Amino acid sequence: MGVGEILSYGFIQRALIAGTLVAVLCSVLGVFLVLRRLSLIGDGLAHVTFGSVALSLIMGVNPGYVTVAAIPLVMLSSLGILKLTEKARIYGDAAIGIVSSLGIAGGIVLASVAGGFNVDLFSYLFGNILAVGNTDMIIAAILFAVVLLAVAFFYRDLFAITFDEDLAKCSGIRTTTINTVLVLMTALTVVLAMKVVGIMLISALLILPAVSALQVARSFKSTIIASCCFATISVMIGIFGSFIMNLPTGGFIVLINFILFLLAFAWKYMRKGRV
Amino acid sequence: MPVELLNIEGLWVRYNAADVLRKISFRVNSGDYVGIVGPNGSGKSTLIKAALGLVGSERGNITLFGAPLESFTEWERIGYLPQRLRFFNPNFPATVEEIVGLGLLAGRRLPRKLTPEDREAIEKTLETMGITALRKRIIGELSGGQQQRVLLARAVVGGPELLILDEPTTALDPETRERFYTLLRDLNRDRGITVILVTHDTSSIGTYASRFIYVDKEIVFDGTFDDFCHSEEMTNLFGEFAQHLICHRH
Amino acid sequence: MKRMFFLVSLLFLLLFCVSCQKKDDGAKGEKKLSVITTLFPVYDFTREIAGEMAEVTLLLPPGMEPHGFEPKPEDIFRVSKADIFIFTDKYMEPWAADLVKVVGNGKLLVIDAGQGAKFLPASGGADEHDGEEGAHGHDHGEGMDPHIWLDFANAQKMVDNIAGGMAAKDPANRNYYLKRAAAYNKRLTALDKKFTEGLSGCATRRFLHGGHYAFGYLANRYGLDYRAAYAASANAEPTPKRIAGLINQMRSSGLKHIFYEELIAPTVADAIARESGATLLKLHGAHNIARDELEAGATFISLMEKNLENLKVGLQCR
Repeated sequence: MGVGEILSYGFIQRALIAGTLVAVLCSVLGVFLVLRRLSLIGDGLAHVTFGSVALSLIMGVNPGYVTVAAIPLVMLSSLGILKLTEKARIYGDAAIGIVSSLGIAGGIVLASVAGGFNVDLFSYLFGNILAVGNTDMIIAAILFAVVLLAVAFFYRDLFAITFDEDLAKCSGIRTTTINTVLVLMTALTVVLAMKVVGIMLISALLILPAVSALQVARSFKSTIIASCCFATISVMIGIFGSFIMNLPTGGFIVLINFILFLLAFAWKYMRKGRV
Repeated sequence: MPVELLNIEGLWVRYNAADVLRKISFRVNSGDYVGIVGPNGSGKSTLIKAALGLVGSERGNITLFGAPLESFTEWERIGYLPQRLRFFNPNFPATVEEIVGLGLLAGRRLPRKLTPEDREAIEKTLETMGITALRKRIIGELSGGQQQRVLLARAVVGGPELLILDEPTTALDPETRERFYTLLRDLNRDRGITVILVTHDTSSIGTYASRFIYVDKEIVFDGTFDDFCHSEEMTNLFGEFAQHLICHRH
Repeated sequence: MKRMFFLVSLLFLLLFCVSCQKKDDGAKGEKKLSVITTLFPVYDFTREIAGEMAEVTLLLPPGMEPHGFEPKPEDIFRVSKADIFIFTDKYMEPWAADLVKVVGNGKLLVIDAGQGAKFLPASGGADEHDGEEGAHGHDHGEGMDPHIWLDFANAQKMVDNIAGGMAAKDPANRNYYLKRAAAYNKRLTALDKKFTEGLSGCATRRFLHGGHYAFGYLANRYGLDYRAAYAASANAEPTPKRIAGLINQMRSSGLKHIFYEELIAPTVADAIARESGATLLKLHGAHNIARDELEAGATFISLMEKNLENLKVGLQCR
């Protein structure tokens, strides 16, 4: 089947557009998250949505709105993670683990109390890149605009804080505010982008393109650009490749991301002669 | 009429129910070159961090450039070089240029973009520090001495009036150390930048600082080098041999 | 720090109370047999057969998608306290064998409702006729399609197995169970006839499903051509080629309807419908039901009757 024919399908077109939008915004956020050792936050917050689902069904929320209902809880959890790293002097990964486990446990307990569901709410929470609807496209576009504008606006502050938080404070940067913006945006991204392309892709797109970019980076700015490129390439190759090879798209995109990482790593190794 | 840049009064800092700093009071005026020395664990770094508001205190008043620390906002007047970067990642993907550029954030409105004048300032600072050739290099690839010069460049590029450095030469070999101190001396002498330098390298400080403060949880001594060397009290405290060693260099 | 400790202990107290409350519900001791069934079909059959003589409960909570189900400690506890445990077939509940081993209660009677049923091999779904791909058998791994209850002859075998088991466990009420089983099977026969008649004389024999390959048995029994978006487990991921294949088939066969399944968000069916201009119709696989449906008194037969109506619309039958 030729490329033209593959592109003739609406679901493929939407997958490409929504997938690319989500990939770019995740890969940009991912650079900051990975450098701050918060890489698993995407995974962790996704587990928190488990708890929010249970909360939604207890409150009798219409399944179509379960995503909206999840947003405040996930945002709160992301702030919780931030607070834990600041006050309790716990590293990011442990803080994420704590909040994530709490989300799942809370969800399980609440779900059991609620006595059953009307639908499998998770299928409403987690999208699929091959089943992107018009609402999903709009969500992806708005999220893309919001995240990229925010990152562009706060770029130098984010860069400073990521480099060294004390130095940033001594430059008069309000580190608490910027950190809050970063995690809240991540929370919003996780919940909304998850609805568009599903959970596995979000987690992967927040981590892998950034890590690959770090292998080949020649400057901070170029790292961010490289991250976007890796993410976009993975989505394009992933969609077309999965079609031609008849494989599930989401998983294939993640695999491509990993292959790109290996290539980036090999390139760095050859260039520098050392790991 | 000397301008007071930093004034600390009655500072007490506690951590985990133990005193880290007690009754610290001193003042730094414009043009000073103050060395803060003391043994390990004496609270020197904490003192700096408290002065900059990075660490909280039990008690005490701190004013910067005449304004109370809590309401101080003119951070472009201060350049800070911390002892070690909090989570220093040797693979941090930033070039020397980009890092020096980070010194130009204070006192600007978001999004704090770099102007052509800024780029010129960065150029000049790179030159002064002798790191122009390194501008596109990733910071992690540089030697310890080069990294320190980059961080110093970052601290001074914005033209601060006060430069605070916390043990900047610990990991450097003697030759590099000397060059660093020479740089500082030039900044202080020629550009009139006030320097506060924390170090445990007591001997070399004598060569450069106009005044030094000995801290060991409290201020043990605060005065000029001459005073130190001729003080009986100090002889008693340090022993003749040590005192001689410190003062001999002067 | 102290405040943190207080909050955490409060949380634990709350969780403890909640879990205590749930246990109370299970301890209603009466002389009735207590039967635990896994999925809705066995639940419905069993409660029909058991009537007043037993307390029948559903292990799977309503609304939960069963292909990914793993029993919790609470479930193991409930089964250990029961007299009879009934599961569908070993391909549908591969975890049942382990659960039974763990429970290790000598008094527990375990009924494999699917024993002796006619099994069909698991199929990928849309593969055979497209000529676009050749791989088969992506499923649980054992190779058999587990959805046996959707062939009503199999359902009758299940009813017989259940009745036989209950009679063996509770010989005093043997006649009661067997009589009720026979009556129910008669209803299943009538249902089967309705399907056969209703699905003859249709404009097309082909129906497409934007969900997982659940209706193989039903299609097989009534000679229908069934394609699904993905394989036997609802958690499997569809491939783009398969979705494109379904879209093409919709267009080439001129189908005006596409079916979606119960409980899951119908996003894939939606995507296919959008591109082929079709409308969505629900086909209930009866794996599990929604809490509302359970409360409204839905039964296996009522669900199948609704399915028949929708199939008649989709296949454009007279």
